Amino acid sequence: MISIRKLEKIFDSARGPVRAVGGIDLEVAQGEFMVLLGPSGCGKTTTLRCVAGLERPEGGSIEIDGELVDSAAGGAYVPPERRDIGMVFQSYAVWPHLNVFQNVVLPLTEGQRRIPRSEVRERALEALRLVRLDGLEERPVTDLSGGQQQRVALARAVVTRPKVLLMDEPLSNLDARLRDQMRDELRRIAESVNVTSLYVTHDQAEALSLGDRVCVMNEGEILQLATPKEVYSEPPNLFVARFVGEMNFLPARVVDAGRVESGLGTIKCAVPPGCAPGAAVTLGIRPEHIGIAMGESPAGMRGQVLRQTYLGDALHCQVQVGEVELTVKAVGDAEYGRGDTVAISLPEKNWHVFPET
Amino acid sequence: MRLPRLNGQVSPLLPIALAPMGLVTVFILVIVWVSFQTGTLGTAHSTYTLENYRDVLGDSEIYGVVWNTLWFACSTVFFALIIGLPIAWLTERTTIPGKPAIYVIMTLGLLIPGIFVAMGWTFIAHPRIGFINRWLVDLLALDDGPINIATPLGMGFVQGLNLAPLAFILTTQMFRAMNPMLEEAARTAGMSAAATLRRVTLPLAGPAILAAVIYIFIVGIATFDVPAVIGLGNRVYLFSTYLFTLTFPEDMEPRYGITGAVGVLMILVALALTAWYGRVLQKGNRYQVITGKGYRPKMLDLGGWNWAAWAMIGFYAVLSKLVPIALVGFIAFAPYVAPPSLEMWEQLSLNNFYNVNWELVWRGMKHTLILMLVVPVLALVCAFAISWLVVRTRSRGRYALEFGAFLPHTVPELLFAIGALLVALFVLKDYVPLYGTVWLIALVYLVTRLPFATRALNGALLQIHKELEEAAYVSGLTMLRANRRVLLPLLRPTLMSVWIWTALLVYREVTVAVFLATESNITLTAVVWSYWAAAGMTEASVVTTLMILFFSPLLLLFWIFGRRSALAEQ
Repeated sequence: MISIRKLEKIFDSARGPVRAVGGIDLEVAQGEFMVLLGPSGCGKTTTLRCVAGLERPEGGSIEIDGELVDSAAGGAYVPPERRDIGMVFQSYAVWPHLNVFQNVVLPLTEGQRRIPRSEVRERALEALRLVRLDGLEERPVTDLSGGQQQRVALARAVVTRPKVLLMDEPLSNLDARLRDQMRDELRRIAESVNVTSLYVTHDQAEALSLGDRVCVMNEGEILQLATPKEVYSEPPNLFVARFVGEMNFLPARVVDAGRVESGLGTIKCAVPPGCAPGAAVTLGIRPEHIGIAMGESPAGMRGQVLRQTYLGDALHCQVQVGEVELTVKAVGDAEYGRGDTVAISLPEKNWHVFPET
Repeated sequence: MRLPRLNGQVSPLLPIALAPMGLVTVFILVIVWVSFQTGTLGTAHSTYTLENYRDVLGDSEIYGVVWNTLWFACSTVFFALIIGLPIAWLTERTTIPGKPAIYVIMTLGLLIPGIFVAMGWTFIAHPRIGFINRWLVDLLALDDGPINIATPLGMGFVQGLNLAPLAFILTTQMFRAMNPMLEEAARTAGMSAAATLRRVTLPLAGPAILAAVIYIFIVGIATFDVPAVIGLGNRVYLFSTYLFTLTFPEDMEPRYGITGAVGVLMILVALALTAWYGRVLQKGNRYQVITGKGYRPKMLDLGGWNWAAWAMIGFYAVLSKLVPIALVGFIAFAPYVAPPSLEMWEQLSLNNFYNVNWELVWRGMKHTLILMLVVPVLALVCAFAISWLVVRTRSRGRYALEFGAFLPHTVPELLFAIGALLVALFVLKDYVPLYGTVWLIALVYLVTRLPFATRALNGALLQIHKELEEAAYVSGLTMLRANRRVLLPLLRPTLMSVWIWTALLVYREVTVAVFLATESNITLTAVVWSYWAAAGMTEASVVTTLMILFFSPLLLLFWIFGRRSALAEQ
């Protein structure tokens, strides 16, 4: 449905040209929910804005539903108003001089995709029902809460029944509880109108829970394009591992294909091919994969709790194991206190090995 | 350099934005061009030469003019600040009651033409006809009036009264932005009140005050109306009035080359001051960044001093507006210029109204009206194009646009008037008959009103999130429709207030009108001036009185539609 090829965007800045997007390729299938995830300045929003037609790329091409909408080389360019898209902005961008109904109706009456006057009202009400704002049609949008404004923006984006829905960090201005709620609703709405979605966020929890696939970006490049499960369990490099979820890292040196030498002694793990014995690598393991138990156990290593952070559903413990400090996540009602001696187990299958770059 | 682009195309707004820049450049360049020529300009009889500069610099009179101008500008700055600064502090930092009234007084101060006040002060303190002098002569049995307003210091005093509102507005923003927490931090760090003032408050306020000083100084060196009304008749010349006598001599052919040379000197001074002004402003802005937001300035409780503060403000209003204008109104009905007295009171009549050439007044009113309708629209269209390109595009060319729109803020309007005159006389005369038309005046007004309109729109556009427009595009609205349905409705309050403010300033403008007016394009203010210059003080007073009467409903309009944003942006 969306097909991005060799997309490149360069911005002029005070310190010379900056390459915001560095020639990326991306295919989004019909009905798919694709999330672009990355830190600020990684090029995700720029990519989205190129798809919307709000930015013109310096290189590459974009197709929407088989139609070439932008090609830096071929000179083809379809302006945003002629693309079959809807878009939700980070600032909501609801028009403050119009009421809820007028906001949703404007694309139908003044836009390029307008519909017969007689159908406008019904279509707008349908969109408002979808976002559960029916009954608030006559309210000035400026009287609404942030969450409600975002719903107006969403209704406005889907009211023309676009093939593609673009969302630029739509939840980042909402408070935490509302964000969780809206996240579920977004997913429901996108599914119910069967729209192809491209969603930009810097929040990994949003990305993992919303996306059919997640595209992790940094410095204008795609680092990983995979399902949320793969992104979390098989990060291909240190950046993705750091950015998605939490992980303990420690420097190590390859011994052979199944073992590395680190501050915790010799550790059994799968060393990726291409890492010769003696090569420096970084080991990673997620806090929840580390086993922890009170007292000492012959199977595990011995550690000492340095401090703990209570999170309600879990307990984060900083544990000193030999010369290494590990973060361990203990779920349930575990109670470990400062100075306790604990047994730590590090399952072989949960280790990640990242070659030094 | 990349041109401002949207979606890869050069924006259609660009030519509109560049048009006034072109005017500014042409007006300035033509002065330079003319300054290097003698003979009959624009014909084969003109030759390129440095003679004009030699004549100007070799003329001892010019040094007296420079000295007068400096004296005048310095006293203008002094009086404007000594009045404007305390009032600004009172409104922003104390609990003085009736703050809206203070804003009313100061805004009126900006709008009431300086030429009227100057006329009033001529009646008050002119060495021969000034009432105070006449009374003092009678009272003390003197030979001459002891007070002379027709000196650089005296005229500087009158212009200081006129520009005090400007000083007020330039410094209120500083007082508003200055975070009192910075002062409190100094106090908690153990500094005395005096040390806090010396080491924290004054250094922080410094750039803003200095910027105000420079700006008022620039306005001062180019002021035409006050020195023309008070000084010309007494042969006290400043830069501006000297230029006027060079351009419109009474007894010989004008030597425009000399005008050009003096103009170029003035341009150089103005540009140097502009550069300095820009640097000071930058420094001031840096301090503002530190202050941050989300604080409530603590107001000083004046207590029993409230009445004293209001007495001072009231005294200023009486001195600068009420008395001079009341006197002009009085003279409009008096048979000749004489101090108000019981005896005079009985002689008041409508006789002066019969002596006024009503056909001329009618013509002036017609032209003023045309200008008030046309100039604000032109200024808004150009300012919108410039602001949109400056705020909404990322091209580096936008800095050039921003600078170009700012330039007329500090380059005196007098120079643009002379530039326009020379362009119409020597460049366009065979192609476009602009000389003697109201459109020539309109072009200069457009240029001089542009900085304010652009800055007001910049501020408004910055307030309107870019995504509101983009949301319209992705909703399928074309750029034209997006502007009509989204951007313009959101900009309307700003557009209204800029429109009215610009119209009011066009109404009161006198310098450009006097330099460019002929029989066929004279404006109301130029009518007042032409009567005054021909020693028709009573007739000038009649027209002035009428102008003030017309003014009142306009002011009311301004009050209803947009004083807020105009005051905030100025």
